Amino acid sequence: MKSTRGLILLVALGSAASASAQDPRISKPHLDAASSVIVNALVDSAKARGLPYTALEDRVNEGIAKGADGPHIVAVVRNLYTEMVIVRTWLGAMASADELKAAASAMQAGVPPVELGKMKQKSLLRSLVTPFTVAADLISRGVPVGTAVNAVKSLVGAGAKDKDINDFQRNVKEDIQQGAPPAAAAEARAKTSGKPEEKGKPDSIDQN
Amino acid sequence: MLGLVSMESSDAELVQRVLQGDVNAYGSLVSRYRDRYARYAVHMLGNREDAEEALQDAFTRAYRSLSRCEEPERFGAWLFRILVNRCRTSGARRVRRSQTFVHDEGALLNASQEHPAEQTAWREEIERALGELSADQREAFLLKYVEELGYEEMSEITGVGVSALKMRVMRACDRLRILLKEVHSG
Amino acid sequence: MENIVEELQRPVRLDDSFERRLMVRVRRLHAERRKRRGWLGAAMSIAQRPAWATALAAGLVAVVTFGVIRVRQGEHVVAANGLEPVNFVLVAPAAKSVKVVGDFNNWGLNDSALVATNNQGVWSVTAPVKAGVHRYAFVVNDKQWVADPRAPRSAGDDFGMPSSALVVEDSTK
Repeated sequence: MKSTRGLILLVALGSAASASAQDPRISKPHLDAASSVIVNALVDSAKARGLPYTALEDRVNEGIAKGADGPHIVAVVRNLYTEMVIVRTWLGAMASADELKAAASAMQAGVPPVELGKMKQKSLLRSLVTPFTVAADLISRGVPVGTAVNAVKSLVGAGAKDKDINDFQRNVKEDIQQGAPPAAAAEARAKTSGKPEEKGKPDSIDQN
Repeated sequence: MLGLVSMESSDAELVQRVLQGDVNAYGSLVSRYRDRYARYAVHMLGNREDAEEALQDAFTRAYRSLSRCEEPERFGAWLFRILVNRCRTSGARRVRRSQTFVHDEGALLNASQEHPAEQTAWREEIERALGELSADQREAFLLKYVEELGYEEMSEITGVGVSALKMRVMRACDRLRILLKEVHSG
Repeated sequence: MENIVEELQRPVRLDDSFERRLMVRVRRLHAERRKRRGWLGAAMSIAQRPAWATALAAGLVAVVTFGVIRVRQGEHVVAANGLEPVNFVLVAPAAKSVKVVGDFNNWGLNDSALVATNNQGVWSVTAPVKAGVHRYAFVVNDKQWVADPRAPRSAGDDFGMPSSALVVEDSTK
């Protein structure tokens, strides 16, 4: 299903519109010439460094699909490239391409790369894609960065599987939607995750 | 009244208008809920300034995250949940004991026409007694008796279980009775 | 107790300036938002509306309750060539169309969007997705971007339209 960089390369100098009119596959506007040059250079660099360059291409496609202009797409791709370079440094050679992508997302959400590196050092043989993804999600819901990182770290350290960590994310999300302060919700659920659900204990996410 | 939107518009309609870019429609929502929720904030936080600040904050947060309101027809409840949380984190309760309702024009306006001084004093005593409750008990008491919510609604808003809420309300009532009986017998 | 409650239930009227001050803040936020989205143009602001807004316009309320249900190994669908079957579900009774776009299908460019089928307001589509990390979203009525309410949110700049994170495990490993 995945195509190559064809869409990025499909920039006709002088008339993007005419290019799209000629090519029946293109049904949406695409990247302007100047932006395309920059993006292609970033993709080439990522390839040369062994980074998951397809993540950059995906962001271009996402931006095009959502109607973003060239400069905005370039900014997003450049940021992602930089983040992947950084997390690669901290996660080391044991990190998979997906871990780098997930770690970059976590970094975008605010997790310091040093924390991501520490987590990977303690989990060299375990994929941290789900923990990184969940940490980023919790932060986006208002859980302070430190709280989210500690919660995920404690779950991973306790041997929680990806399913447990996903369940934890869902529970915290629901608690927050019901009005619980995000930090308290994450802390409380991190303590009880992995244990039988304590129904009937109404103060499990009590503020005090 | 701000905006050109009829006050007859439902919450869901107003929310939709706001999301479509009609910022004045948000003014209608503010008008609809500000006084009712001001009452809760004032009693919860103990003074008008902090209450206004919490309310401003709650309305602003609600505007910012309006697209995440999954049930726009229940905007009021969703907003109230935000306000309850803001009041919890405000932490300004009872810092300014000198700023009582005796100095509060609003209280004077609300005071009974027949016995304004007595009424104001009574109000002040109630506020003092409320201040003696723990934050949890005060919150539960206000939601149950002043805002007249059901326990299920309270649980949804606070995230606390029904049985714990009932306990808090009961303790709050007991404590208030003792405190206010002391005042009147003293 | 009744006397206490009666007293506490008296209305509290705020200064008229409360609303003025608040709306100044709100209008400032509104202006900042419009400025950030300036490159989208006014027409695209419609795409910000969640699914329920469309339903409301049609006189109904859309309830979004379901999210991604990952079909794991052992169930009837078969994984092959590193592709895992993923079932995307969105409850949107008033929607006329629901598509799924994401990293796994070039975000619908080249008409590659996954088209969900409607079953009494529940839209679903199952598609093979490569194992790994993906960003995706639902597109309702070809114009409204809706994040999956049951999935983790995707981090980073989402170009002003929400996306979700999908982690697909390789069931063969």
